[in-house]
Amino acid sequence: MSTPSTALNAGHDGHGHDHNHGHGRRRAARLPFPTTRVAVVGVLSVFVLTPLLLIVYQSFLSGAFFMKGSSATLDAFRFIFADEDFWVAARNSVGIASGMAAISVPLGAALAFLMVRTDLPGRRVLEPLLLVPVFISPVVLAFGYVVAMGPVGFASVWAEHVFGTVPWNIYSLVSIGIVAGLTHVPHVYLYSSSALRNLGSDVEEAARISGANPLKVAVHVSIPLIAPALLYAGVLMFFLGFEIFGLPLVLGDPEGHLVLTTYLYKLSSKLGTPSYQLMAAVAVCIIAVTLPLVLLQRLLLRTANRYASIKGKAARQRPLMLGKWKILAFAIVGAWLLFTVVIPLAGVTLRAFVTSWGEGVNLLDVLTLDNFRQVFEDRTMVRAILNSVLIGVFGGALAVACYAAIGLSTHRKHDGLVRMVDYLVMTPRAVPGLLAGLAFFWVFLFVPFLNPLRNTVISIWIAYMVVWLAYGMRLIQSALLQVAPELEEAARLTGASAGRTLRDVTLPLIRNGLLASWLLIFMIFEREYSTGVYLLAPGTEVIGSVLVSLWSTGAVEVVAALSLINIALVGAGLALALRFGINLHK
Amino acid sequence: MNESTVLSVADLKLSYGDNPILKGVSMDLRRGEVISLLGPSGSGKTTLLRAVAGLEQPHEGRIVIAGKPVFDGKARIELPAEARNLGLVFQSYALWPHKTVFDNVAYGLKLRRVSAAETKDRVGDALKNLGLGALGERYPHQLSGGQQQRVAIARALVYNPPVILLDEPLSNLDAKLREEARAWLRELIIRLQLSALVVTHDQGEAMAMSDRILLLNGGTIEQQGTPTEMYSRPASLFVAGFMGTNNTLKGRIDARTADDVCLDLGEHKLWGRRCGTNAPDGVGGEAVGVVRVEGVKLADGPGPNRLPMDLVTSMYLGDRWEYVLDSAGTLVRAHGSEALDAGRRWVEIPPEKLWVFA
Repeated sequence: MSTPSTALNAGHDGHGHDHNHGHGRRRAARLPFPTTRVAVVGVLSVFVLTPLLLIVYQSFLSGAFFMKGSSATLDAFRFIFADEDFWVAARNSVGIASGMAAISVPLGAALAFLMVRTDLPGRRVLEPLLLVPVFISPVVLAFGYVVAMGPVGFASVWAEHVFGTVPWNIYSLVSIGIVAGLTHVPHVYLYSSSALRNLGSDVEEAARISGANPLKVAVHVSIPLIAPALLYAGVLMFFLGFEIFGLPLVLGDPEGHLVLTTYLYKLSSKLGTPSYQLMAAVAVCIIAVTLPLVLLQRLLLRTANRYASIKGKAARQRPLMLGKWKILAFAIVGAWLLFTVVIPLAGVTLRAFVTSWGEGVNLLDVLTLDNFRQVFEDRTMVRAILNSVLIGVFGGALAVACYAAIGLSTHRKHDGLVRMVDYLVMTPRAVPGLLAGLAFFWVFLFVPFLNPLRNTVISIWIAYMVVWLAYGMRLIQSALLQVAPELEEAARLTGASAGRTLRDVTLPLIRNGLLASWLLIFMIFEREYSTGVYLLAPGTEVIGSVLVSLWSTGAVEVVAALSLINIALVGAGLALALRFGINLHK
Repeated sequence: MNESTVLSVADLKLSYGDNPILKGVSMDLRRGEVISLLGPSGSGKTTLLRAVAGLEQPHEGRIVIAGKPVFDGKARIELPAEARNLGLVFQSYALWPHKTVFDNVAYGLKLRRVSAAETKDRVGDALKNLGLGALGERYPHQLSGGQQQRVAIARALVYNPPVILLDEPLSNLDAKLREEARAWLRELIIRLQLSALVVTHDQGEAMAMSDRILLLNGGTIEQQGTPTEMYSRPASLFVAGFMGTNNTLKGRIDARTADDVCLDLGEHKLWGRRCGTNAPDGVGGEAVGVVRVEGVKLADGPGPNRLPMDLVTSMYLGDRWEYVLDSAGTLVRAHGSEALDAGRRWVEIPPEKLWVFA
């Protein structure tokens, strides 16, 4: 009776002899990990690893994996390594990836410095415009370049009128590299701008006081200090260079330039028969390049964090005054925007409303709405639009729910399970959408109980969800980071269980973050095209994959109209995001 | 402004949007002089320093450094920060983490195209002057807070700017280290004959380090003068309250003479000096009396300007005792050399120590 706890009990119920009262049931012996967490991670690994393992397995077979006679062999690799086109494609991929990194990293860093650290006029308006290429499908952008800067494109016709000749060839390998580099500037911008935002402005002001002009401040102080972030972005650019598909497909076709992804895509038409083992072998070659790079990125991220801890103490942000440099800075940003956003989008828009285009064509004579009429009269295309919206809205919501489930199951935990999830989430980044779509196609084709799903949008949704897993998880995790740990700890001390705390404190607090993620996932799902290419079947059409297949038929008018509809869908998402002030920096 | 003025600020106005931060500030800094900008947070002291440095954009007024106008609202002159040739020691030190101590200090010389040999000499001298001789090859994160501060000062001094600006130079140091650094910094400024403008929110720091103090409040200069003037002849209730540790007594004016007023605290009356610009002239109006804690004495019995109060508690402060006294809810603090028991005491506030503001 002398211990405080029993005394408390006695006071509480008035019966001092009731020893067990108020002590609660003894807890059941705990597993090292709660079952729900194990289940979530288990499902995740099945979804991530099955397609990947299937590709690897298939690449070492002599025939399709579901055929009885297939045996283990290296023939597939022998065949593609003997194919001259493969090596040309590989060389082109390396070239484009290097060019992309060489263009996008310096330019992205420069844009980030101007936008984040200086008093560049019109930053608020420029910012969302700068991010547009992230949300526009590369096929649409590539198509925009074709209709604007191709041999008879709007800009080319104008240039010929002014200079007497077209000073560029958009179909050359160099052009593809330049376009790829410029359209990926926003990716670098995102990483460098967030690094710059974390940098105290005092170190820059100190340089300014010492006598450095804005250019020297950037070169001597700001850029060296975000070098880890830039290196990270450089690696990202390099492996994205191996993964790009839409740009080289559209721009490389006229002159027959292949890269690894388009080589894979053209493989079945080249041989006349779908040869799964060869496709798988090419896919394994691509992943053999990208997976180590993804792992390298992870390593870099860790060192980058270490570097970030020695930033200026006062993280107050004051824009650097540009003074007379303003005009030059504005010109750089403007020129990039013109080439990367205005020209291709204007090209698509114009082309969607005209019957034909070429030299000496009067715009007023060719204006028409027929292209859209054609789209809406075609049941396949109407279905593609509908499916795209469904996938974006409902699929997006479901995807966010799944990502949130994964995020919550690892929230504030530091154990083996969390590390496993980290690697699982990272893995799909190494698998380009085209390959993931192919792998999921095989899975749906072959796993009997999944077969009925193959011709429904569900198959597309699952593939999309896995392809964008890393992106989605980043959205969820940044929302979760906003919740101060004390808020959850206070709930625990008040008496809420871990699950209860998630439900009553964490989830309500990240509600807005989840809604924002939904919108961003919607835009990304509208933009996606390559994942649906191999899954394209009656019933699974989405705008992106239909565009890819239409492009090869040469139906330019319909492609333009459908592209514009795609842009409109993404634009609606972007408008909503801006309206609600959603942070696009993720 | 005369020959020896190295920095002159005239009627400087600065706003963030519609929010005025500086409402017309004027000041002169003479060669070899140290001025402290003192004030509560939001008073505009840091903004004034940054405007001088060229890191904030005023919209009106004039700033002249070493005879050269660097900002003039009317003539539309505005030199960027890098063209003003100033030294600034940041509150956070703002050392570049990717450069060694040597490179941090040498950067300003590099930008001024000083030859490598001369740079080496001058940086070496600067480091030696600041007691950092052997640390040139280190990186900032390998230094202690005090050493980082010295590097920041060396970096600001190495190219001999006419004025050195210090933004809360001691606030990032531990309390113990701060007093040592204060003495060291004052000695350094005198030894090197620097002209310095120092921002601080700590009145003790301002008084110890500077020749003159500018007390800012709400974007204007409330009072300026030497530390003794500021401490012993405050021009307003705000200045009196900001400098030193004070007791505040609220009451009504009961009677007045040419220099003195009698403050009616309810049950008791005290004579004090008339202070401030709107010196109390009527009788019966509300007034506030301010007396420094060290101006209050305990007395052994009744007498002129004494009042009875209850001693609530004695607090031991190490070098002295502090007494908390109460009279109908008004608390008064006083210092003494011994512990006293609670109970009724007589408190004396000499009239010359009690400043009455209306």
